[in-house]
Amino acid sequence: MTRGIYAVVVLDLKRFWLDRTRLITGLLQPLLYLFVLGAGIGSSSRLGGTYQTFIFPGVLGLSMLFTATFAAISIVFDRQIGFFKAVLVAPVSRTAIAFGKILSGAIQAAVQGLIVMPFAPLAGVPLGWISIAELPLAMLLASITFSAIGVAFASRFTSVTVFPIVSNAVLLPMFFLSGALYPLTSAPRWMQIAAHFDPVAYAVDLMRGTLLGDFFFQPWLSLTALALVIALLTRSAVKVFNRGEDDSSLGQTKFAWRR
Amino acid sequence: MVVSRVRAVPPVQTSAAVPAVEVRGVVKRYGKVEALRGIDLRVETAERFALLGPNGAGKTTLFSILATLRAPTEGGARVLGLDVVTERDAVRRAMGIVFQEPAIEQRLSGRDNLLLMGLFYGLASSAAKTRAAQILDELGLSEAADRPAQTLSGGQRRKLELARALVTDPKILFLDEATLGLDVDARRGFWTQVSGLAASGRTVFFTTHYMEEAEVADRIALIDHGRIVALDTPRALKARIGGGVIRLKTDDDAKARAWMIEHELKPEAGNEELMLVHSDPAAALPELLRHLPVKVQRVEVHEPSLEDVFLKLTGRGLGDGATAAPAESRNRANGGTGS
Repeated sequence: MTRGIYAVVVLDLKRFWLDRTRLITGLLQPLLYLFVLGAGIGSSSRLGGTYQTFIFPGVLGLSMLFTATFAAISIVFDRQIGFFKAVLVAPVSRTAIAFGKILSGAIQAAVQGLIVMPFAPLAGVPLGWISIAELPLAMLLASITFSAIGVAFASRFTSVTVFPIVSNAVLLPMFFLSGALYPLTSAPRWMQIAAHFDPVAYAVDLMRGTLLGDFFFQPWLSLTALALVIALLTRSAVKVFNRGEDDSSLGQTKFAWRR
Repeated sequence: MVVSRVRAVPPVQTSAAVPAVEVRGVVKRYGKVEALRGIDLRVETAERFALLGPNGAGKTTLFSILATLRAPTEGGARVLGLDVVTERDAVRRAMGIVFQEPAIEQRLSGRDNLLLMGLFYGLASSAAKTRAAQILDELGLSEAADRPAQTLSGGQRRKLELARALVTDPKILFLDEATLGLDVDARRGFWTQVSGLAASGRTVFFTTHYMEEAEVADRIALIDHGRIVALDTPRALKARIGGGVIRLKTDDDAKARAWMIEHELKPEAGNEELMLVHSDPAAALPELLRHLPVKVQRVEVHEPSLEDVFLKLTGRGLGDGATAAPAESRNRANGGTGS
């Protein structure tokens, strides 16, 4: 099991390394949000200059969410061509493959997050000792959550073309509802309620809390919610990965070989 | 000879009693479509066994079942004595597969591909590294091993696929149209390697579209409409024809056929072209040409080929994908007569 997970992670990280320029181009989106959108909206909001500081954890989350999702798309590609066909006839359990995919996506998301981190002071985010100690935990949970979201979706698609449509229909609403770009405290009531059903909201809030000290959700609530989301999505991804194995009416009833 | 260079490993020992592949009463349905309608076969250890048939005959389905990618609806299949459904992982550990489509990561080097495959088969990193180097050396790929796979030639890439299948030192190799699209030289090189593997005691089970590749098999199963229509050595299969084959294309094949039947000649069924089996075609041909009441456009006399055997047995050709040896390649459209 662990060997299978390890192999999937090594494979994905090797491929990720081939695309390492993406780490840099992946910076463009968060920096645009932070220093263009953030500066523009900040100047017209009552948060003023602190708006950029406020959205920094949200933009960090955005960057990680999209990195994790992009990593998950490889599952769809893999089905169509390439190395994975050989992996499917290797003695590796489908469960290990699902775990490996989630883990490798989480690592990629976390790495992208760490690359965004140095811009924190520029956005006015104080990097104190406490936040540096707590933040990695929050980022880790966020990375795994985002990766599990990506894998749970990607494992259900057989075509790469439908994936962007779904990601726009699912990821963007989750991101917008998460309070990444505005304080949930002053948001309309329905949005506050909706945010309770948005895993991205908990992840962003946890990172914001550890960086800036203001939590919308109780930290224990966020931790519980994220753990639950990770467990549910992982279970569902494992199920989908295993589905291919159960293509039989024979599964349980064995063929009698005697004679 | 190449054989000795290919593998230095002693022959794989498997008890003679256990067949390499055993298929019994396998039926596979996809909804209402019956892809396999009762397949029985047995492949012995160290045999080179070919599965030959037109597209849609059930080759791929049978192959996928043996490769543990699908399960039969009825019946059972064993590879090296292991049930492909209930002992799936053990089967996977013991076999190597080369797919029709590329199954290597094109952007990674050959060495990295093999290393990763080793990890997937549970080798430790260092062992996987050693094994990768060993296989690359055996297949003569060492020099190309560190370039991205996509920069290699088609033949080298196919060899890399073979190398990938060999990572676990499998006792049985499954090759699905493994040389599709390769030029003659690359195909020959590929089969030289495979023959070496078979010579060292591995079983090779393959499907192919190229007639001359099927000829290297010890035995061939001809499959059509989900059933095995013949299973024998290439020589025995061709002997079923008895004599030689005359193929004719005329202005009016229907009329020619009627005339032949009237004169107690027996043209084979199927309406793509006229095929006549005769014990002494060279002697019969002049007479035939003189008396046929239609204009003959083209006539061809040859030794029976596997395709002739298939045509005789099923009334249709192996389909557009099937080609005889390139030198005598005939362009025959898939008439779709058999249904």
